[in-house]
Amino acid sequence: MSHKLRVALSGNPNVGKTTLFNALTGAHQHVGNWPGKTVERKEGQVKYKEHDIEVVDLPGTYSLTAYSIEEIVARDYVVDDAPDVVVHVVDACNIERNLYLCTQLLELGANVVVALNMVKMAEKKGISVDEAKMSHFLGVPVVKIEANKKAGIYELLDVVVDAAHKRKEAKLPVTYGSEIEGHASEIEVMLDKIEVPSRYSVKWLAIKLLENDSQVVDKVRKIVGGKDVVDEAGRKRDHLLEVFGEDVDCSVADARYGFIGGVVRESVVKEEVNRLSTSESIDKVVMHRVLGIPIFLAVMWMMFQVTFSAGAPFMELIDFLVGLVSDGAGAFIDGAGWPMWVNSLVVDGVISGIGAVIIFVPNIFLLFMMIAIMEDSGYMARAAFIMDKVMHKVGLHGKSFIPMIIGFGCNVPAIMATRTLENEKDRILTMLINPFMSCSARLPVYVLFVGAFFSSYQGTIIFLIYLFGVFVAILSGMLFKRTMFRGLSSPLVMELPPYRWPAVKGILIHTSERSWLFVKKAGTIIFAIVVVIWVLASMPWGVEYASQESFIGQIGGVIAPVFTPCGFGDWQSAVALLFGFAAKEVVVGTFGTLYGVSDAGLSEVITGHFTPLSAAAFVVMVLLYVPCMAVVAAIRRETNSWKWPLFVVVYTCVVGWVCAVIVYQGGLLLGFV
Amino acid sequence: MSMALSMASEGSVVKVKDIVSGVMMKKRLGELGLYEGTRVVVFKNDVCGPVILKVLDSKIVVGRGQAMKIMVE
Repeated sequence: MSHKLRVALSGNPNVGKTTLFNALTGAHQHVGNWPGKTVERKEGQVKYKEHDIEVVDLPGTYSLTAYSIEEIVARDYVVDDAPDVVVHVVDACNIERNLYLCTQLLELGANVVVALNMVKMAEKKGISVDEAKMSHFLGVPVVKIEANKKAGIYELLDVVVDAAHKRKEAKLPVTYGSEIEGHASEIEVMLDKIEVPSRYSVKWLAIKLLENDSQVVDKVRKIVGGKDVVDEAGRKRDHLLEVFGEDVDCSVADARYGFIGGVVRESVVKEEVNRLSTSESIDKVVMHRVLGIPIFLAVMWMMFQVTFSAGAPFMELIDFLVGLVSDGAGAFIDGAGWPMWVNSLVVDGVISGIGAVIIFVPNIFLLFMMIAIMEDSGYMARAAFIMDKVMHKVGLHGKSFIPMIIGFGCNVPAIMATRTLENEKDRILTMLINPFMSCSARLPVYVLFVGAFFSSYQGTIIFLIYLFGVFVAILSGMLFKRTMFRGLSSPLVMELPPYRWPAVKGILIHTSERSWLFVKKAGTIIFAIVVVIWVLASMPWGVEYASQESFIGQIGGVIAPVFTPCGFGDWQSAVALLFGFAAKEVVVGTFGTLYGVSDAGLSEVITGHFTPLSAAAFVVMVLLYVPCMAVVAAIRRETNSWKWPLFVVVYTCVVGWVCAVIVYQGGLLLGFV
Repeated sequence: MSMALSMASEGSVVKVKDIVSGVMMKKRLGELGLYEGTRVVVFKNDVCGPVILKVLDSKIVVGRGQAMKIMVE
């Protein structure tokens, strides 16, 4: 008979939690969201010795207070869903800080197993751990693992299964001193008299009430009679403040660190190693006061070069395959004797539209891969440090730069990544300027236009386009900061993870997930839009396909004059921009459908419709105007109002149009064509 | 002698005396291991820009403004 077990993975950011998750579950995983929250939830399955184990990857946090959505999600899962075992992943190089979260898990009454990761690395640094002693002092099992080499995984599973079967009453090893404990036990007595849901540890609730934890206070207040308990806790809190001269939170934190200090003294031996570690020598260079920014720019430039040069052969292959499918489908439909319009729908509409988009999958895959490597290697945090000075000019700090870099991949996860910013104003400001970070969906448009007009400097020009986006973002940020978002932003506090070789498997899993989303979008939204365009381009009956007399030609004709000052006042461009609102990559697909050619032929046709100057203006417009519906929806979700998403739509369109006009008219004045 | 962390020279080892900021910031710094009484190494401190500290066994970036509010000796 097989047993079902639920196991949660918890831990600080950058401790190898995701690597362990991948090692445990392999390909059997599922990424979604926590119910009602926009925090990513990863689940996976592993079968081990008659057990079906469901593994849930909790968000990486430093603590379990109620200050961020991630922390609340992690805490609620541990309390409400009561997993059989919580595996707490600890970075052996940084045991003290990592165990802080562990003490909080123990306070919650979780059935904890500590997985000590990266032991080899720690030994190199002169840190050796006696896991038996550590286990004794913590009161929970401790297992050494090496997640990236999959070492110790079975031992860990053995211990987890074992711990799940003999779940014992968790006893809290931390003591907070007689003063706090005394008051806490008085509150415990009061809590026992009201109807507290049994899944909560009364002791934990009492301490949390003393700490004035907003979420717990709200929960207790809702229980009948709970308000009195909350009020009493408030009085005791004030009293303790008088006694200690500091907040209860601080005394409790001191007690936790005191306890951890004891555990570490008994079970960890640290040799003083004085030489500079490799990580530190690298940092001396990449974070150098003067060299930092040039090195960062060089890294970004290399990223784009690799994206394009390594992607080229794959793009040719896909182009060739799309051509084959297109010819094959055309011949098949003719052979079957189906009406001409079916042929037109399939070949002109669907295949040329989707083909024009799918060809960029190699580029997008590579770009996401570069971003994932930057994140996993630890360089991303350095980039935030380096850019802190620049971002200060905008009134934001370096941490806001991370969502902006992610924005190069896709603005939607970037908007979500703003959650790491504590201050609400900082978050909204970062969201507002993020759409100017050129996402990978805009890439196809650049590749098409730059390839058609300026092919010899493709990588460099595309790099410049991206830089221009950053420039507009920073300028807009400065403008907003001086008008709508006056006031101080929250201070920068973040961890610099040590450099690591990114795990190939993790990078590949992550990158394929993201690229697959792109392919899925191509298969759904883009497919739908392409069909709509085809219908509009074929109606009313009898018109020539995609001619100016068709519905779409008429719609485009109405909008087109708006773009005359930008140099692309033809109806096809207007239609492409209009549909680009659904998703930017649709712009290329629309041109494909409207001109009735697929990818390869498209660049030739484009040179007939644009001049180099109007092409440049068009690229600027595509770079700056509304990213896509998905981003607007993400901003709506994250700000919980329609005000900001609508503002973004209007603002970006205006900025895009103005910049395109400046490029075109300025170019004309300078004598370009 | 106590001074603001932002004044501490690169490479020096200092002890945190007092953190003059809100409860929330104190708590966040505490989670990262930076609380009153901790010894930290000033890993990087340029004339401007954030300060990098070695706290316990990790490196923490603290913005300049915040570093001015952490008193050390």
